[in-house]
Amino acid sequence: MAELESMTPVAAIVCILLGCTSLLLLKRSPNRGWIDQMGGMMLGWIILFTGLSYAAKAVREAFEDSSVDLDFFRYSQNSFFLVSTILGASFTFFYPYPILQKSSRIKTAPYFVSVLSLVLIVSMLLLDYKYIGTTKIVYIPGFIVLISVYFRFLTDEIKNGDETARRLSFAAGLIIIALHGAEMTWWLAQLISINDEFIGRSAIESGVGDFSRIPTWIGYNVMTTIGAVATLTLAAGETWRAQVKGVSGFTIITYLILGVGLISGIADYAVLDIVNSCMYTVCNEFPESYSIWYTFTTDALVLLFTPLISMYVLLNFDVIDSGSEENRWLTRIIVILMLLIVSSTMIELLQSFLPVSQMISSAILAMVVAIFIGWEERIMQKLIEQGESISKKLSSLKEIHEPELDASELESFSKAMGALLVFTVVLCFLYSSIT
Amino acid sequence: MTKDSGNIRDVLTNLYSNSTANRYIAATVLALVVVFSYTGYDTLVYRHDVIQNFSEDNEWLVTFETTSDTMQQTVVLQDEETRDLTFDMADFSVPEGYRIGYIEAQIAGEETAGVLSGNQCDSIAGDIVRNELTAQWDDPSNNLSGQDSSCIPITLQLSIYPEFDGEDRTVSSINEFQALMGWTDDGWGKGILLLTLELDTNSNTPFVGVDDDEEITIDINVVMFRASVEAI
Repeated sequence: MAELESMTPVAAIVCILLGCTSLLLLKRSPNRGWIDQMGGMMLGWIILFTGLSYAAKAVREAFEDSSVDLDFFRYSQNSFFLVSTILGASFTFFYPYPILQKSSRIKTAPYFVSVLSLVLIVSMLLLDYKYIGTTKIVYIPGFIVLISVYFRFLTDEIKNGDETARRLSFAAGLIIIALHGAEMTWWLAQLISINDEFIGRSAIESGVGDFSRIPTWIGYNVMTTIGAVATLTLAAGETWRAQVKGVSGFTIITYLILGVGLISGIADYAVLDIVNSCMYTVCNEFPESYSIWYTFTTDALVLLFTPLISMYVLLNFDVIDSGSEENRWLTRIIVILMLLIVSSTMIELLQSFLPVSQMISSAILAMVVAIFIGWEERIMQKLIEQGESISKKLSSLKEIHEPELDASELESFSKAMGALLVFTVVLCFLYSSIT
Repeated sequence: MTKDSGNIRDVLTNLYSNSTANRYIAATVLALVVVFSYTGYDTLVYRHDVIQNFSEDNEWLVTFETTSDTMQQTVVLQDEETRDLTFDMADFSVPEGYRIGYIEAQIAGEETAGVLSGNQCDSIAGDIVRNELTAQWDDPSNNLSGQDSSCIPITLQLSIYPEFDGEDRTVSSINEFQALMGWTDDGWGKGILLLTLELDTNSNTPFVGVDDDEEITIDINVVMFRASVEAI
């Protein structure tokens, strides 16, 4: 059986492609509301920084057995990851339900994100990333905001019969999955409190001295707790909704994550002896089937499906003007391209451990291509027709302030992120040169 | 106060305006706190303490309990004869839990052994021949060849287990298992020990007669060990 190849390079390509395209499409969508502009820009930059982090990781993975000096890529991977973390945590204060609505606060956002990112990049660089896990704490307020939006509008829909409220609870739920997807698939392991044993194993494998820092472990525990609670609350919410309104696509996605987490939890429990072998004997390898399971569930969700969820948010909630003639062809290209990249990667992964000949996998890929080309019109129509901006809903509720902001003031966010990107690259290059 | 003033207080009032939703939100936050509390205890208190035992490699004293098994063979060689002798290592009895550390071979002629023949000492040469026997053939402590013509027994030695010399030693590792790990490999000392003997007699001695052969005794001593560790 062939070894499963890393999905990181594919994730890097998908994220960089989607990040750049969404920022370009957003620039060509001048008539969006400020929430869509701000949310779209932040999401675009999150995807782009995540993609750059994956790209640096992919280079490290490719050359890890060689004598090439990979310090620059290590610093870049961690620094871009830090920026995407700060952006991800800040994003929830602007989208889908903006907590910060005053123009002064919106204008402050790029400075806040840039300064906080710089402080973290420099401090973590100097501390050799020993405390990088701590930064995950920043997700706590954002998660509370998202879950509040989810329940507020879910209740509005079910109790008060507001059909359009689903748009916001759906958006909040999707963003929760996009930000916490990996940890959501570990919900059972967290509930029965065995994730600490996996953390312990990682600590021993990585050299305990550098890993067993209490603040780092708090960060990991915060993320796994958020993941477990997110899965259970979304599942509870969607069950409630399904009883009243019937099963939706999002209900199925939520149950899928719940099911994956259930099986993962049982599998995690079954391999506890192997996990603890590091402490009592030597670190034994996990069974191959266990690794394959995680590659196709948690890894695929984080590396391949999270960019697709982000793309869905951009299109389905009309963040970018995909209906205009100017944007239509580019939007179509990126949608089909992303779906094809993800599909072909999954087929390649399947081929790496199933005894399927290349002829058959090529035929399956051709079928997938044919389906996407044949249904391209339908897929796009579905995405665009359903698309309705969240800001319209919030305006109808009169819960959105319209600050006096011109387009250039909003675009200062992109300029700040561009400058941050350049500064990060230069800093990582210089630091790797002098150390 | 207007709903769309944009003040954070108003925004939060709007967001938390639904009392039913607020109950679910409160339950979610409570669940966060509860799950974080007990998993946090496991991770940050219990597991952290466990892991701290591994934060620095512990020092262990490895000691060796040794035993040995001996096999003897006597052969008579004619002058200028060369003979190969084989010893199957499977014929030596290795107790449970023991591994072969090294092999000593002592070669002694009859004059050497104190038998009065009145002859001058014969010249005896002995070699341990490199073959498929799993051993440390290139170990510097090996003595694979010997030759003597002064009636002193020849002692040959072949190291079998890597780095075993019988001396206690201190090792660093995260647990007892790993400290012992280097001393529990099976597979060393399997095969046939091949010894080559060569005789050159000194028969030119007045009043004694012609000495054209020699009885040679070979003692093969297999030294075995069992390692144990204790924390220092």
